Amino acid sequence: MNKLATPEHATSESHGSVMSYFAGFVLSLIYTIIPYLLVTNEIITGSALLITILAFAVTQMIIQIFFFLHLGRGPKPFYNVVFFIGTFLIIMIVVLGSVFIMNNLYSNMSPSDVAKNQAESEGIYQIGGVETGACQGLNENHKVYVSNEGISPTFVNAEFCDTISFINADGKEHIIAFGQYPDVQYYGEDSELILSTQRASVIVLNSAGTFSFRDDSNPQFTGSFTVNLKE
Amino acid sequence: MVASKEMTHEEAAEDRVMFGFWVYLMTDLLMFAVLFAVFAVLRDNTMGGSTGRDLFVLPLVLAETILLLTSSFTCGIGMIAARRGDKNQVLFWFGLTFLLGLAFLSIEFYEFAELIHEGHTISSNAFFSSFFTLVGTHGLHIISGLIWLATILVFVVKRGLNRHMVRKLALLSLFWHFLDIVWIFIFTFVYLGAFA
Repeated sequence: MNKLATPEHATSESHGSVMSYFAGFVLSLIYTIIPYLLVTNEIITGSALLITILAFAVTQMIIQIFFFLHLGRGPKPFYNVVFFIGTFLIIMIVVLGSVFIMNNLYSNMSPSDVAKNQAESEGIYQIGGVETGACQGLNENHKVYVSNEGISPTFVNAEFCDTISFINADGKEHIIAFGQYPDVQYYGEDSELILSTQRASVIVLNSAGTFSFRDDSNPQFTGSFTVNLKE
Repeated sequence: MVASKEMTHEEAAEDRVMFGFWVYLMTDLLMFAVLFAVFAVLRDNTMGGSTGRDLFVLPLVLAETILLLTSSFTCGIGMIAARRGDKNQVLFWFGLTFLLGLAFLSIEFYEFAELIHEGHTISSNAFFSSFFTLVGTHGLHIISGLIWLATILVFVVKRGLNRHMVRKLALLSLFWHFLDIVWIFIFTFVYLGAFA
């Protein structure tokens, strides 16, 4: 019971030598100092810097796993290596997956846009009693047919909160752009509407005034609509 | 684990214990991975308050890193002495490991105290919640490692360096190297990453 470890055990390859610890120590120091200097001297910045220092960290991790933990060395079956690889895979899925999903969510739903997006796409016409500018209910729908033959009708007279459907009437893609060619103007959130083959795009008329539009693939075809405020 | 024929009964048992401890370390690593993921997601959510870039003192963090790295090294050297059965060397190297770990912990305490003193607590915003949770969890591991190490050293002094103690030290050094590896990522991603 009180017997000490045998000398063969002491020098066995799987437990490492002073040299291996020393090599691991010096390499780790180097791989700590370099990213530190990269950051403090601002040699590179932004995501390039982040990726570089993370690469240094991963390398240092591998160095320490090899020189300090002696993973995979020694005669035993490599159950612990297999377990490590499995854990590493789960970690990659959890960390990269979370970062990817949350970044995606954030870029689509940054706080300032959330209320606006909801108001427009969900048709929320008031938040806490304050009108958002979105329209309540469905009013009259005007149809505008777009084809290589032209736009018909070329003028729509509509009431506030009516809708216009731009309908692709032939087998080609059309792009409805607002303003006179080649200007880019916006109506609401959109500067252009892409009409794929046999598809339509609907806009809600929540800005009053007269607006012109054209078929960007055939800029000679233009049209306009006037939105009148009620009352 | 399958024991090869040359292994004695005791060595096979030791091997099983090592593997079991390795499994624990891997699950612990998973927990840290989740905390890292949380930090990665929340690191920009400061509610307009100070960011890591404004608050982190990099030279101090570099000192922490070097202290912990050195303690990982002395722990390895101590382990070689333990397998040789050299009690005095074990006490020296693991004693050094303990002191370096304590120095690391003191700097971390100082850093946390400064942050809290300036009004940045765990409930200030999502960034600080995830920061204190991640770094604090690592700190708690260091504390438990130090208590464990101190206990083993007391036993080594009192009862001598028997096979039992060598096994405990082997598990502890595995744990200590593991904490150093986790710290590399805290140093890189949390602290250096704040300046990227």
